Amino acid sequence: MTTLVQNIVDGLGRGSTYALLALGISLIFGVMHLVNFAHAELITVGAYVAYGLSTLGVNWWVLVPVIIGSAVLASMAVEVTAFRWVRNSSPFTLLLTSFAIERLSHALWQVLVSPKKQTFAGPEWAFNTWELGGIRVEVMDVVTIVVTIMVLAMTALVFKRTLFGLAVRASAEDFDAARLMGVRANRVISGAFGFAGLLAGIAAALILLRSPTAEPTLGSDWLIKAVVAAIIGGLGSFTGAVIGGLSLGLAEVFFRSYLPDGTAQRLTDAFVFVLIAALFIVRPAGLFKVTAAERV
Amino acid sequence: MTDPISLRLSRSIGASSLMALVLFAGATLYTATGGSARELLVKELLINLMLVLGIQLFIGNTGILSFGHLAFAQIAAYTVALLTIPVAVKSQQLPDIPFGLGSVHMGAFPATLVAIAVALLVGGLIGVAVVRAGGIAATMITLAVLFVVDQLVKNWQELTKGAGGLSNVPTLDGTMWLWVGGIIGLFVAHWFGETRSGRFAIATREDEIAAPALGIGLFRSRYVAWVVSMGLVGLAGALRVQAIGSTSPKQYTLDITVLLLAMLVVGGMRTPSGAVLGTVLITVGNEVFRQLGDPKRLDIERFPDLFLGVALLAAMLWRPGGLLGDHDLAAWLRRRTRRSHEPVARVPPTRTAALTADSIEVRFGGFTALRDARVRVGPGEVVGIIGPNGAGKTTLFNVVTGLVSPVRGTVMLGARDLSRAHPEEVARAGLARTFQNLRLFGNLTVLENVTLTAMVSAKYRPAEPPIDVAWLLQVSGLAGLEDRMASTLDYGNQRRLELARAAALSPEFLLLDEPTSGMSDDESLEMVERIRTMGAAVGAGVLVIDHDLAFITTISDHIVALADGEVIAEGTPSEIRRNPQVMEAYLGSAADDETASSNNGDE
Repeated sequence: MTTLVQNIVDGLGRGSTYALLALGISLIFGVMHLVNFAHAELITVGAYVAYGLSTLGVNWWVLVPVIIGSAVLASMAVEVTAFRWVRNSSPFTLLLTSFAIERLSHALWQVLVSPKKQTFAGPEWAFNTWELGGIRVEVMDVVTIVVTIMVLAMTALVFKRTLFGLAVRASAEDFDAARLMGVRANRVISGAFGFAGLLAGIAAALILLRSPTAEPTLGSDWLIKAVVAAIIGGLGSFTGAVIGGLSLGLAEVFFRSYLPDGTAQRLTDAFVFVLIAALFIVRPAGLFKVTAAERV
Repeated sequence: MTDPISLRLSRSIGASSLMALVLFAGATLYTATGGSARELLVKELLINLMLVLGIQLFIGNTGILSFGHLAFAQIAAYTVALLTIPVAVKSQQLPDIPFGLGSVHMGAFPATLVAIAVALLVGGLIGVAVVRAGGIAATMITLAVLFVVDQLVKNWQELTKGAGGLSNVPTLDGTMWLWVGGIIGLFVAHWFGETRSGRFAIATREDEIAAPALGIGLFRSRYVAWVVSMGLVGLAGALRVQAIGSTSPKQYTLDITVLLLAMLVVGGMRTPSGAVLGTVLITVGNEVFRQLGDPKRLDIERFPDLFLGVALLAAMLWRPGGLLGDHDLAAWLRRRTRRSHEPVARVPPTRTAALTADSIEVRFGGFTALRDARVRVGPGEVVGIIGPNGAGKTTLFNVVTGLVSPVRGTVMLGARDLSRAHPEEVARAGLARTFQNLRLFGNLTVLENVTLTAMVSAKYRPAEPPIDVAWLLQVSGLAGLEDRMASTLDYGNQRRLELARAAALSPEFLLLDEPTSGMSDDESLEMVERIRTMGAAVGAGVLVIDHDLAFITTISDHIVALADGEVIAEGTPSEIRRNPQVMEAYLGSAADDETASSNNGDE
């Protein structure tokens, strides 16, 4: 029983981060049909900014907003410099463009800083655990889950109640029609990138609080899981991305905990990917078929 | 493609050997001037060449992006390693090896064959899922496959020795076998483009709706492309491990996959020429930047990664079709070796079957698009359907051609029931259609567009006397434009080409969806003539949609008027012109119609 609860908390903690990233990927897919493989590079950007500032002795209470801000800026900058120019191309071109950016990001950090991992000091409270009725809970798991819930509530509000949210949902539905109705394409798309950057920035802050390191390939490890989560949920679906992220996190933790030790244990990721491939074979559109009402 | 097999073979051999010769000359010059260390780059180039050609064969011809091909190269590589490492060494490296592989020892040649067979088998199974899924889902399955194989290799230590990989694989001397592999790759990639499967796969790449509507199913040709590409990457993996003498999961990661994809898209993914050019440019560029980044020179770690990112991004932003686009040595040879002849007119076969759609009802959610719609076209007859926008004309077409399933009603061609048939079955049965918004195979030439459907006819309508494409182009007014890319034609010619492409199926009936939309009155009149001649020439009846009353009454023998999903009138053109209901439904909405048609409204 206690392991079960522990696993659920662990899984939700992992899954929350996936969900935040998957939501950004799903959002961008909604407005321009791009599966953005460069999305998790925003984490890397945040990590190097935090690393740079922390060597100057900047406090974590300052670092967190700076991490988030840098992710927003980087996300919007990439849209203006790259994605805007291929906006109406095939999904194929869009996908490879994002891959090119991912490559460039890796290479730039390698050239500008170093291919090696840079570790810096995290805040002490982030490594504490709480004991609650025999269950050991990491503070960061609780923080992650609480922050994610708040962010998701905020996101829901933005998309339901604001003009920007309405414009994004309309554009996801039918971009040309939305433009005819006066929605400004540039503004909506760069807004979507900014918002996706905000979500990624929050995810980055949560990741870095837990493990304050910067390395060129930091984003890649998260990227695949986030893309997979977005796709499990059905690209373009808001609810789907969140549920996809959470279920992927839970699946990972449960596989790891219940598979027999040895080879099978080490194959956790392989099992998860086999399940995912099977999912696509059964339901190519993902778990949540995007319907008009649900689409981001 | 309708060319004789000897000509097609010699073209493939010609293009492949020309490329191989140029590469060989370049490589010889390079190694001769710099010693044997330079052989490494040549080996790398040849291995990349085989892999990229294998990937091109699938991605380039089907338009489905795959990240998974390297997984199968890896499977082949490990198969060779496990079969060829001497028994004594194996018992040390892998003491707990399963399946009794510990005592197996094979020579290089049989091991290579077994490895390719394993890649084909595993790949062939997974390919069913990939090709069925299509689109972005297919891409994601391939990505999952890459990771699963990677994880398996890294963690199934009893079999693979984990992340460190296997060594002591007996090596093949020199580069000869790699050259053989490269030449095989070149030949297979070129030959596939000359086969029917290759041409059909390209059609599915160009338009996933138009291809089935002309009788080309999405699965079969794409699956053939997948399996053949598995053979090539399997060969590449098997030769790579024997060239290096060891294998490890590091050689088959997503990073390497992206490197190979970059080669493909920088050169131009649609043609083997593009694949070869890209492979050479990126492989050489990578080496140049590696040397530039050397501590003794600029001292930049991972400089090639920067080069790769810039090259890939630049290609995507400026030339998404790659440096070569559709320029291709093989295509050039095809044009040069084409034998021109006097166009041969064909005596149209006599037809007896009628096309009837009866009591058709279609609903989209709560909206009833068609209720009790019907139409009948006798053999050789021209029947027009008119009606304002939203009347359900195109929906009726989509039902007849299998794109939309009706809730109720039957579609019959003679005695054959097509009510539930798939689009490709409908086309093969003898109904060829055009599209309101034009769905040409844009990156193919005029001649290739028409030849494709002529090939469908030859394959699936064998009873039809063969049709001369040159003659068809002449009748369509497209003579002299054979080698123009379809996407570069002006609008009128694109319409003519779509008509010619449908006619090349040698159909029982031509179904034309607004063939004159966007045309001037003069062009419309000319189109009336052309449609009538074309129908008579291939012996097809015509069912034509338009909302231009003048056009429809001029061309049709018989007219059906639709409004709000129902037949409101039927009869000869003069009867329809006098029918008060038609006049009301039609002229009453004629003013709206003007504005609606300028929006290109789809019905």
